[in-house]
Amino acid sequence: MARIGVFVCHCGENISATVDCGKVAETIGKLKHVALSTEYKYMCSDPGQTLIKEAIKEHNLTGVVVSACSPRMHEPTFRKACAEGGLNPFLCEMANLREHCSWVHEKNELTTEKAIDIVRTQVEKVKLNSALQPIKVPVTKTAMVIGGGIAGIQSALDIANCGHKVIMIERSPSIGGHMSQLSETFPTLDCSQCILTPRMVEVAQHPNITLYTYAEVESVEGFIGNFKVKVRKKAKSLDEKACTGCGLCTTKCPQKKIPNEFEQGMGMRPAIYVPFPQAVPNRPVIDKEHCTYYLKGKCKICEIVCPTKAIRFDQPDEILELEIGAIVVATGFDIKHADFFPEYGYGRYKDIIDGLQFERLASASGPTSGAILRPSDGKVPKNIVFIACAGSRDPAKGIAYCSKICCMYTAKHAMLYKHKVHEGKAHVFYMDIRSGGKNYDEFVRRAIEEDHVNYIRGRVSTIFERDGKLFVKGVDTLLGAMPVEIEADMVVLATAGVANSGAEDLAQKLHVSYDSHKFFAEAHPKLKPVETNTAGIFLAGACQNPKDIPDSVSQASGAAVKVAALFSQSELTREPLVAVVNRTSPPLYSTCVACGMCKPVCPYQAIELEEFKARDGRVVKKAARINEGLCQGCGTCVAVCRSKSIDLLGYSNNQVYAEVVALLNDY
Amino acid sequence: MSDFEPKVVAFVCNWCTYAGADLTGTSRIKYASNVKIIRFPCTGRIDFMLLLKAFANGADGIIVSGCHPNDCHYTSGNFHAKRRWIMFKELMDFMGIDMNRITFSWVSAAEGARWADVVNSTVTRIRELGPYVSYKELVNKSVEEEVKND
Amino acid sequence: MTNLINRAKELLENGTVKVVIGYEAGPTGLARPAFITDPAKAGKLIYDDRCVQNLAVYLTKAEVKNLGKMAIVSTLPVMRSIMMLISEHQVMGDNIVVLGISTEKELLDIADIGVMKGYIEKCDLRNPEKDRETLAMLNALTPAERFAWWQKEMEKCIKCYACRQACPMCYCIRCTVEVNQPQWIPVQANPHGSTEWHILRAMHLAGRCISCGECGRACPVGIPCHLLTMQLADQVNNYFHVHAGTSDNMTSVLSTYEPNDKESFII
Repeated sequence: MARIGVFVCHCGENISATVDCGKVAETIGKLKHVALSTEYKYMCSDPGQTLIKEAIKEHNLTGVVVSACSPRMHEPTFRKACAEGGLNPFLCEMANLREHCSWVHEKNELTTEKAIDIVRTQVEKVKLNSALQPIKVPVTKTAMVIGGGIAGIQSALDIANCGHKVIMIERSPSIGGHMSQLSETFPTLDCSQCILTPRMVEVAQHPNITLYTYAEVESVEGFIGNFKVKVRKKAKSLDEKACTGCGLCTTKCPQKKIPNEFEQGMGMRPAIYVPFPQAVPNRPVIDKEHCTYYLKGKCKICEIVCPTKAIRFDQPDEILELEIGAIVVATGFDIKHADFFPEYGYGRYKDIIDGLQFERLASASGPTSGAILRPSDGKVPKNIVFIACAGSRDPAKGIAYCSKICCMYTAKHAMLYKHKVHEGKAHVFYMDIRSGGKNYDEFVRRAIEEDHVNYIRGRVSTIFERDGKLFVKGVDTLLGAMPVEIEADMVVLATAGVANSGAEDLAQKLHVSYDSHKFFAEAHPKLKPVETNTAGIFLAGACQNPKDIPDSVSQASGAAVKVAALFSQSELTREPLVAVVNRTSPPLYSTCVACGMCKPVCPYQAIELEEFKARDGRVVKKAARINEGLCQGCGTCVAVCRSKSIDLLGYSNNQVYAEVVALLNDY
Repeated sequence: MSDFEPKVVAFVCNWCTYAGADLTGTSRIKYASNVKIIRFPCTGRIDFMLLLKAFANGADGIIVSGCHPNDCHYTSGNFHAKRRWIMFKELMDFMGIDMNRITFSWVSAAEGARWADVVNSTVTRIRELGPYVSYKELVNKSVEEEVKND
Repeated sequence: MTNLINRAKELLENGTVKVVIGYEAGPTGLARPAFITDPAKAGKLIYDDRCVQNLAVYLTKAEVKNLGKMAIVSTLPVMRSIMMLISEHQVMGDNIVVLGISTEKELLDIADIGVMKGYIEKCDLRNPEKDRETLAMLNALTPAERFAWWQKEMEKCIKCYACRQACPMCYCIRCTVEVNQPQWIPVQANPHGSTEWHILRAMHLAGRCISCGECGRACPVGIPCHLLTMQLADQVNNYFHVHAGTSDNMTSVLSTYEPNDKESFII
């Protein structure tokens, strides 16, 4: 027999000024199963809460309805009070008499009647509430960071410094990411490598971090706190323990004409190579696609010259099976290669390059040792044109969004050029200058005012080559769309930042959503920018959208805190308001018929089909099962289930049905 | 019919419309007291059968409201609800059940004033339509039959 | 027909299938479902104008399923039912041999699900013409007239659930009407209970109805309840551009969405 206690709050006069609280308490007191119905001036005050706690004991209450303000305000308060009074907190409901009644209606009988209806509805609901226990999920305190760029590095270091184990996966042979390719960074013009390499070394040496380079995620199973990740460690054809990193093999390799990825194709590398001098780990890998031995079956010069006999041609890929509690995705971005803009002539004219290529030209460790030389003839360009928004903010040909970093790096490029070629002229075509950020606009002003970079507001329609010169034709919209033609020696396109290759594939493996541009999607655009809609998987850096270094680093630290918070306890406690698929005894097992209708509606991939097997191993039944570690309790699956085999704890079919009936019928 | 007070049930999601209705309260915006709210975690949770149950239990009008598209706390519950309501509306129309009695709306947590408008316009409309006699008759006829059979 | 019989016999003889689901002539001359397990009895199979029942309903029945691999005489609605049943994990495609029958009553060579998909894609997937006419007539009425029209039909309903039993898509082992906690649908066959039952049934078939019309044919009191699901089939195609039963990997329109789904009634 239910024994419900009802407490009607006056909220000072906030409720009692329009609602006759005495009448509400009295009317509700006459309902069946209501053991106590009383009123009080301030239920949320200490004495108010004590009233509930004492009543629970005195009247042996099986449910409590606090008729006061919005449950969004004080539900936790009163549930806690009930728990302290010895009643399961989920046996407490609130009737919203303030926000939904007294504050929005005039003082009259109808308002009091409505208040009675609201309270009665909650009384009928709470009768059907069940005592729920918080869900405990064990947590494996090892994080995986996917991607070894600056965002991944920052996340890994932060998590490791909290005392947790971190496994970092990087698909290329070295960590460092795009930041390691940059020459200088805006707005300070400090050398990118100088600030990055110490961090890279720290990752390699940190006792809590295990680094797997040349490795990719193969599959991900499980859920928050309990992921099982398979990682493919691609064969480097090298015994990493035996190798000392002397580099002899890389100098002796006869195959030397492979476009160097790190140099953005502006330099060459051998088939056995270390991507760049500061690489971490500083060990070579053999590029099987270009190695003479792998292609033709003979050569093995590297094996012969290796002083420690570290070359392993027959090394297989290795699959690692890892138990992971949380995942930080930091796979970064790529730039759109400019070939989608045929009128700009990228690929056709050697002296039209993209932003990353310019970074390599300007880098002291780059193919020209930092001298700005044009690729065609190695001469110093006297006139250089930078084109911002090459693809960004262009829904027709490129992408609709703003790539965010290009305005700043274009200003930086123009400045670097002017610092190196004092007599040279730098022109920038732009749509708008977007330089929000600390010291960012000052930086752009410096480029314009101190370094005399010629900023032209307008778009470039075409670039063509004549007599070794590039003719850039555009308009200056600030001069009434006056046609502009510049004779340039070199053109740099600030092409759009786009999702990294393989992002979609990885998102599918992780069961994380991604947007139409294949960038990973955050759980909430404003309030959960670091989380994904899969619990336990977080985002850092430009894999979410193009970001500059400080933004990437901040988000990486944010993601690290989310991981550390998750790892701060050995068990994860979750609200038990989750959906469940019923289970009965064999041979029925469940009334669910495994039609699978619920599976795609779940935003959290919490639903899977469970198989029931007979003794001989035959599958005799399939039924949906909801992972309570993943379910967030939206209940969409409940509403689509035709056989009513799913129910939502806290908002069960019985409860909501009773609410509808109680709301519309006087008893 | 001048003293007819329609009974209107509102099925709302916790994160947007319920919070929006809270804001109507905190802003002290007045609206008709005919509407009574039932809270759901998400519009995706709202079973179409509950709407029929509301009519069967004497509701003259119904409001179903949740987060605007793209604002769902659970990312997609409202999109699923939208498809469900499209089908439900088409079926009800085809069976001649009056869809003017149901308001479907998106009201965000910031739209306190809009919630009052949604309620007031719904109540005004239902007041004009009068009590939902035809659905009530369905139920009454059924009850009568039952009494007769007893 | 000889082709059909020979093919059925061959499949049973060489052990490809354990049972052939088809039609035979009943004692009164009407066609009735036949479950042939003995190749010698394959000669009983018929296919002519009398054969209208959607045989796919038997594919999910344990008594039939447990016999082993099945061959099934399949007109377009049966094929579309099979697609839906595979999509909803109720049968396995490689457990079924489709003895396809063309609109000209010729035996089709349906080697596998892929071939069947190709065949279905070429067919007219709209509701049958006669039903389209009735639907148009009803859609032209005023809402009040439609209400009255349907209520007259609902009054006849005896809640025997033949419509449900005849439908290949109504394979749940427990139907909502059998749930009494809470009692979603009034048990009695009265205007209220019957109306809500038919709404429920139609909604549960939204995006899943393959327009075979079996529910209406099965109704012992002649309620054209197939028009409800067919109207929704029309609307599903209208809004979401989908015909049910056109692939073995369909997701129900009500468990998926497009962010830009169009509607005009949500304010």
